[in-house]
Amino acid sequence: MLVSWRWLSQFVDTQGVDPLQFAEKFTTTVAEIDDVVQWGFGLRDVRVVDVIAVAPHPNADKLRLATVELGGRTVQVVCGAPDLRVGLRVPFVPPGVTLPSGITVRDGEVRGVASPGMLASEKDLGLSDENAGLLSLDGCTAPAGTRLHEAIVLEDVLYDVDNKAITHRPDLWGLYGVAREVAAMLDKPLKPFDLDLVLGTTAPLAIRVEAPDACPRYLCARVANVSVQPAPVDARLLLRRLGTRPISNLVDATNLVMLETGNPLHAFDARTLRGGEIVVRRAKAHETIATLDGQLRQLQTHDCVICDAEGPVALAAIMGGANSEIRPDTTELILEAANFDAPTIRRTAMRLGMRSESSARFEKALDPVLAETAARRFLKLCQTWNPEARITSHLADCGPFSADAKPLSVIHTTATYLRERLGVTAVELPDAWLDACLTRLEFRVARTGDALAVTIPSFRATKDIKIAEDLVEELGRHYGYDNIRSEAPRVAARPPHTPALKLLERQVRNTLVHAGLTEQVLYAFDDEETRARLLLAEPAGLTRVAVKNPISVQHTHLRRNLLPNLLAVAEKGLVQGDDGQPARKGLTIGVFEIGRVFVPEKSDDRGLPPVLVNGTEAELAAYTAGMDSEMLRGVLDARSGTKPLPLQPMHLGIVFAERLGGGAEGTKLVIAPTEVTHRLLQQGIAMLNHLLSWLGKQPLALLASGPESSPGAPDGSPTWRSKLGYDLVASTGETIGFLAALHPRVRIALDQPAQAVVVELDLRALERVPAIVRGNQ
Amino acid sequence: MSELPDWQIEIDGAIGRWQTDIDEALTLEALRSLEVRALGKQGEIPGLMKRIPQIPPQDRKAFGQAVNALQTQAAAAIETRRDVLVEALIATELNDTSFDPTQSLAPLRRGHTHPLSTVQADIEEIFHSMGFHVLDYPEIESEFDNFEALNIPGWHPAREMQDTFWLDNGHLLRTHTSPGQVRAMHEFQAPFRAIFPGKVFRYEATDASHEHTFHQVEGLMIDRKVTVGHLLDSMRTLLSAILQREVEIRLRPGYFPFVEPGFELDIRCQVCAGKGCSACKRRGWLELLPCGLVHPNVLRAGGLDPEEWQGWAFGLGLSRLVMMRYGVPDVRLLMGGDLRFLSQF
Repeated sequence: MLVSWRWLSQFVDTQGVDPLQFAEKFTTTVAEIDDVVQWGFGLRDVRVVDVIAVAPHPNADKLRLATVELGGRTVQVVCGAPDLRVGLRVPFVPPGVTLPSGITVRDGEVRGVASPGMLASEKDLGLSDENAGLLSLDGCTAPAGTRLHEAIVLEDVLYDVDNKAITHRPDLWGLYGVAREVAAMLDKPLKPFDLDLVLGTTAPLAIRVEAPDACPRYLCARVANVSVQPAPVDARLLLRRLGTRPISNLVDATNLVMLETGNPLHAFDARTLRGGEIVVRRAKAHETIATLDGQLRQLQTHDCVICDAEGPVALAAIMGGANSEIRPDTTELILEAANFDAPTIRRTAMRLGMRSESSARFEKALDPVLAETAARRFLKLCQTWNPEARITSHLADCGPFSADAKPLSVIHTTATYLRERLGVTAVELPDAWLDACLTRLEFRVARTGDALAVTIPSFRATKDIKIAEDLVEELGRHYGYDNIRSEAPRVAARPPHTPALKLLERQVRNTLVHAGLTEQVLYAFDDEETRARLLLAEPAGLTRVAVKNPISVQHTHLRRNLLPNLLAVAEKGLVQGDDGQPARKGLTIGVFEIGRVFVPEKSDDRGLPPVLVNGTEAELAAYTAGMDSEMLRGVLDARSGTKPLPLQPMHLGIVFAERLGGGAEGTKLVIAPTEVTHRLLQQGIAMLNHLLSWLGKQPLALLASGPESSPGAPDGSPTWRSKLGYDLVASTGETIGFLAALHPRVRIALDQPAQAVVVELDLRALERVPAIVRGNQ
Repeated sequence: MSELPDWQIEIDGAIGRWQTDIDEALTLEALRSLEVRALGKQGEIPGLMKRIPQIPPQDRKAFGQAVNALQTQAAAAIETRRDVLVEALIATELNDTSFDPTQSLAPLRRGHTHPLSTVQADIEEIFHSMGFHVLDYPEIESEFDNFEALNIPGWHPAREMQDTFWLDNGHLLRTHTSPGQVRAMHEFQAPFRAIFPGKVFRYEATDASHEHTFHQVEGLMIDRKVTVGHLLDSMRTLLSAILQREVEIRLRPGYFPFVEPGFELDIRCQVCAGKGCSACKRRGWLELLPCGLVHPNVLRAGGLDPEEWQGWAFGLGLSRLVMMRYGVPDVRLLMGGDLRFLSQF
C-alpha cells in the first residue's frame, strides 16, 4: 500500500522530519516499507499557462500550434496532444529545462515551426504513465505564469508499505491509521477529521439488512444536485500516485475516502435503484450479477449482495453492478458506507478471482465505527467539490452493529508483566512512558498502582489486539526493539536428547557417502510419469496417500517407496554423466536417499496432543482451562473428527546403476550381461555389509524372494524386483527390507540401456538389528 | 716353525675366498644366497664342524675356535656388504627424478553429502552443543496440529497465506515446522529447548525462488520468564554460529499468529556492511527469519500454563540458508536430483 507523506502531513505535524530517513524507523516500528519513491521533484521551472489560441500546423496533420498565456507574455509552441483546446490550463516546460525523464526541452523547431518550450502530459513530467493528453490544470486558480509546484501539490515522498506486513492491522489500510502511528512516533497530536455536516431529515430510501452476519453495519445517505466532472487536479494526481485511476469527482471521492479512512465506499446512481429500496442479503442459488467491469458473475448462496427491489445491484464489498454505477449524467447519488464480514468477503473474492482494493480491506476485518467516519468524510468532500450539492437525507444506519453497540474490550494486566515480557526495567521503561505510549495509540489506560486496565480502541479491536501480549508488542515496537538489552537466558544445564533414529540416520548417511555414494533429497510426492513409464506399481491391494489438490498431474500421490524417484534420478544421471564423468558405456551411478514414506493403512500417531486422545475428563478439563471459545471449539472438533495419521516410516533407498550402451544415442540393449548384473548385486551386498559393519550391527541374511513381495517384507515392497531379489533378514527373523536387480521389463523401459540394483529398507527396523557381540578374541 | 695343520691352512684360505665372494655380490638377493650358502643351517661354514672327528684331539678346541671365528668374520662381512648394497639402493631411489607428478590415475570415486544435509548437520551440531534437543516430526500433520494448535483458527487468512496440500485422509502436508512446537511441549517436561528441522510443503507455483517443497528448522525455547531480551541474545549467538561470523541483528514487527509479539528478524547485510547494495535491495538489512515469543494460546495447546511458562520460537529457512552459503541461484536445484549439481558438494 502506498502512503503519501504530503497527505499524511495534513494530519500530523511532520515539520523537520526527513521522510527518507524516517522510513527506516517506520519499518522497525510499524511495518516494512518495500520502497521509498520521490514523486514530482525536479519540476520547479515548469509553469502554469492558459491556452489562448490553437492553429493548425502548416506541415503536419497531427500537430497543432498553441498560443499560451504565460503571465504577461504569450508563447507559441507546437503541440501534438489531441485534447488541446482554447481555454485549457496546462503545464508549460520552458526551453532549457531538463525533465525527470532526462529529456531536455529545446528552443528549436518542430517540422519547420519554432517551438520554444512544450506543453506537458503527466508522463512528460514523470507524474504518472498517463500520456493520452495534457495534464489539465482546470480548477487551479493560480495566475498564469505561476510555477507549477506553487500552483498544485508536487514534491511528495511515497512509502510503499509491504501489504503482507499489515494483514493483521485493518487500521493501517487507510492513511489516517498510518498517520496515527506516525503521530505516536513523533509524539505529536493527530488532527481529527472535520465531520460536521448539515444533514437532511428524511430517510435516503428503505433499507433492509437481511444478512446481519454478513453485514454488521450499513449506512446510507442521499445526495442531490451533484454534477459529474473531473475531480480537482490535486485529488486526481494524488489518486494517480497512489495507484488509482481518476474517473470522476464522485467516484474519485469514494476512492479518496477509502484510501484516507481505510473504509471502502460505494456510490449508486439514485435513479437506477428500482423500487427505491436497498436489501442486503445472501445471494440466491443461480443468481447472477453484471459487475461494472462488464463481466457476468455467477453467485453462490454464501455471497453477500446489495439488491434493489428487483435484484443485485452490487457484489458487496467487491464491485458495483453495471446497472447502478455513476454515469456522466448522474445528478443524485446514494452513498453506501458499510461494514462487511471478513470471511464472507474473502471467500467470494477468492472464488471469483476479484480481489479489489475494496475487498482487500474488508477481508482484514474493518472496524464498524469506521463506516460512519468514512460516510461523513465523503459527504463533506462531496460538498467541498460540489458546493451546490445537497444532502437530502439523514445518515441512515442499519444492521446489528448500531442496534447493540458493544462496549469496548478491556485488557487487565500489570505494568510489571508487560515490562517482564520485553525484558526491561522500570527505570528503562518508566510507568509514565508506558501509559503515554499506549495513550498516544488511543488506548485508554486506567492505572491502579501496577495494575492496568487498558481499553482497546475499536479500530484495533476487530482482531488485532486481544491480550496483554499484544500490548507488549505495542510498547516494544514504540520503545524500540533496538533499545532492549539483549540478555543470555539462564537455563538449566541438561544434556539434550536426540532420538536414536536421528543418530542412526547420520551414521548411515556418513557411511554411505564415505563409501562413494551420492545423497539425494527428493520430493515426498511420487512422480506418476516415471511410475507409468517404468511400470512401477505397488503390490496389489496396497494404496498410497492421495493429494486432494495436486500441484500437477505428476504429483497426485505421496510415495510409499523411495525407489521410484531415486531410480529416475539415477536414470537421468546415466544420461547426463556424474561427477565430471561423461555418459559412456560402463558409467556407474550410486545414489541413496534417507526420507519418509507414507503408508496409509497403518498408523502410530493420532495426530493430536495425547490428552485429546486418551486423557481423562479431568485432564481434558485442565487442558482446556483458559482457552478462549474459538480455541475450545477447535479442540473439541479435532477431538471428535481427527483420524489417526498414516504411518510415516523413515526409509533408506540405494540404487546402483550401470550404463550398458555407449553415448546418449546408443541403441537399447534388451539383455543385461549376467556378469554386470552379478557385479552390481555383489556391489550392493558389499555395501550393505560395509554399512552394517560400521553400524556395529550383525550382518543380514539374504533370503531369495523372487519377483513377488513376500508376506514378511516391509509394507510396500514393490513388484519390480527380478528373480534376483532378496529379503534382508536380521538374526531376529525380522525382514527389514530388500535388495534386488530390476525386473527385466522395468529395466527395458529405462530410457537407455542400463542395469540397476536397488535396496530399500526401513530405518527403524535397521535400528532393531542386533549389535555385533564383541569379545576378547 | 712347526708346519701349520692342514685344517688351519684351509680355514685361513676360506676367509679370503668368502670375503672375495661377499665383496663381489652385486645384489641383496646374491648376497642373501651367499649368506645361505656360507652360514645357513646346511651352509659350508657350519658344515666344517662335521669334520671334528678327523681332527686330532689336541687340535679340536683350536679347530672349533677357528671355525667360529670364520663364521663371525663371514657374518660381519655380509652385514657390511649388505649395508653397502642398501645404501646404494637408497641412493638410487633418492636420485630417481623420473616421476611426473602431473600424471595420475583416475580419481577415486567419492560420494557427496547433499548440501541440505550438510547445513542441517551444522545447525544441529550448534544447537545440540547449546542444550537443544534435535527432533524429527512427521510430514503429514492433522489440521489441528498444523493450524488450530498454532492459534490459526478456521477463518484465519493465514490459512490461505500458507496454501496447503490437502490429503484424501483429511490430513495435510505440514505447511511449516511449527506443529513441532506443540508436539515438543507434550513430549518434554518444561523447561526445555529443541529444534526440529524438516521438509515443509506449500501449494504454490515454483520458480527460481519458490518451491512447493522446501526445508525449515524450527527452534523453540520454553522456560520461566522468557523475554524479548533473551530472544535477541539467543538469536544473535545462534545466528553468529550458523553464519560463522559476528552478525548484527534487528527485530521489527512481523505478524505470525503463533507468536506475540512477533518479529521479522533482519541481519546487517554483509556485502555492503549496511550501506545498501543490490544484495539487500539498498536497505542495508537482509530479512532472515520470523520469530517471536510463543503465543499464550500455543502454550495452552501444548498443555502449558502461560502464567508460568513462556517461550521464544523461530523458523529458519534451511533451503534459503543453503542457497546463501553456497550461492545456489535456483531453489529447484536442491531437490532436482541432478548429479552434476550434487557432485559439487
